[in-house]
Amino acid sequence: MAEPKKLICMKCNKELELKKTDFSYLGHTFFTEVPACPLCKQVYISEELVKGRISEVEMQLEDK
Amino acid sequence: MEDSGMQFGEQMSSMETMSREPSQILNSTWSICPVCMQRLPAERVKKGSEIFLEKTCSEHGFFSTLIWRGHDDFNEWIGSADEGDLGLTACPGACGLCSDHLQKTCCTVLNITSRCNLDCRFCFASSGGGSPDPGLDEIREIIIRLVEKDKTLLQLSGGEPTLRDDLPMIIKIAKEAGAKYVQLNTNGIRLGEEAAYAGQLKKAGLSFVFMQFDGTDDEIYRKLRGRELFGIKRKAIENCSSVGLGVTLAPTLVRDVNMHNIGGIIRFALSHSPAVRGIHFQPATFTGRAPGIPSNNDRITLDELVWEICKQSNGLIKADDLLPSACDHPLCGFHGDFIASGGKLIPLLKRGETGKQDCCSPPSDHKEKATQCCSPVSAAEKNREFIARRWLRPGVKGIHGASVKDSEPGENSAAGNSAPDNADPGNAGEADIRDMSVFLDRVKSHGFTITAMAFQDAGNLDFSRLRHCSFHVYEKGNFIPFCSYYLKGWKQ
Repeated sequence: MAEPKKLICMKCNKELELKKTDFSYLGHTFFTEVPACPLCKQVYISEELVKGRISEVEMQLEDK
Repeated sequence: MEDSGMQFGEQMSSMETMSREPSQILNSTWSICPVCMQRLPAERVKKGSEIFLEKTCSEHGFFSTLIWRGHDDFNEWIGSADEGDLGLTACPGACGLCSDHLQKTCCTVLNITSRCNLDCRFCFASSGGGSPDPGLDEIREIIIRLVEKDKTLLQLSGGEPTLRDDLPMIIKIAKEAGAKYVQLNTNGIRLGEEAAYAGQLKKAGLSFVFMQFDGTDDEIYRKLRGRELFGIKRKAIENCSSVGLGVTLAPTLVRDVNMHNIGGIIRFALSHSPAVRGIHFQPATFTGRAPGIPSNNDRITLDELVWEICKQSNGLIKADDLLPSACDHPLCGFHGDFIASGGKLIPLLKRGETGKQDCCSPPSDHKEKATQCCSPVSAAEKNREFIARRWLRPGVKGIHGASVKDSEPGENSAAGNSAPDNADPGNAGEADIRDMSVFLDRVKSHGFTITAMAFQDAGNLDFSRLRHCSFHVYEKGNFIPFCSYYLKGWKQ
């Protein structure tokens, strides 16, 4: 299996590390691990996560 | 029924109220005379904390029907749902639907028999007649005409549809015609009596079961249905669960019969999650077969029902967890969306938070209510998907009768997100529900709805409500709003 690609923070030039991160939507807060810069703390949200679990959580929480 | 001045209980009781309380007209609407069914202008009138729908027929006099008891703020509840000049509409005579109707079909009811194996005190359909059932070929033609491929939610109803031995075939026909979901409206007797029956229906393509369930005490069934049924209802749930068929409980609420048992029904349903997917409360409506003309005291209003649910659930459910209908008129129902966990309910919706997902308000001239102005999805469609999302029991194998345990690990896993092994499906337990993956697993497996629908009768029929109806009976090529289809004058 191929090694996962390294992600580098453009601003700090540091390798991103997985960090438990909170996401809030419509009064609810959830967490999952996402790559984050250890220095500036900015996080990288992949398209896969956005179109996958985040989108699913939004759909489950939205009113009919 | 005696032809005396006392027969119109609502009229008399409200006149007594009138003498004590100053009146305030809140808004105007249209209704009918409950006796001759002539169209009449009507007003929603506040007297003290209570609100009445009032109308005067030149021939049959003044009628005042209680529609709100004042446990909740009426204006906040209905929001901006009322619109247009209802005097210009042709309600209810043109129902079928006409160009003035504001909502598409969310759920289509198809009555496949008028026969019934019960003789209930309340039955909007007056079931139990001896009319012959339509043949299978006729049913097939009807289904093909009414189904919109990959959209239709078809509710097979009656009468008691399980009296037809060809029900599995009818379900199969509906699925083959493209119905996205097929729902069975049943008293559950056959599902409880025949162990293999639920499997046959599931195999034919049935999506979920909507089961008459009036309480957790046989005295309730004796009074409402004429016989003890609690045991058979439990067996029906068990049989459906064994094949992964979700069951939503549908209590008909009658004051002095089962209003006191609302908390008991909630606790029973919750203890049977995920087999039981939710409860759909239906305050008794006075149409079809009903014991006489109702007094205002007989009326169970939506705000009263919310209040009783909160009180009797001992804090499991709070009023803010239950939101007015956004698909139908707010006076037609409410809904709450939860996750069942360890005998508790985690609310997913909160009043005040709803609507925040909208990017802007729908345009005022929009004929059909949109939920998001930039989204092509109609409110009826969104409502349909909400129902299916929660009432379908996902990921359960065992269609052909294999037993499925509620506690089977990972049974409800989706998109590869299995709940942790230490997560007891009856209780989120040590698994943290705030973990996005745990939440997604749990909401799919143990989603739980508390919903209500307040049907209308000749006393409280309100055109403003009727125009928003998304629950339609299909007959002779027409989609007819449920309450207009079953509407019956009180002297007829």
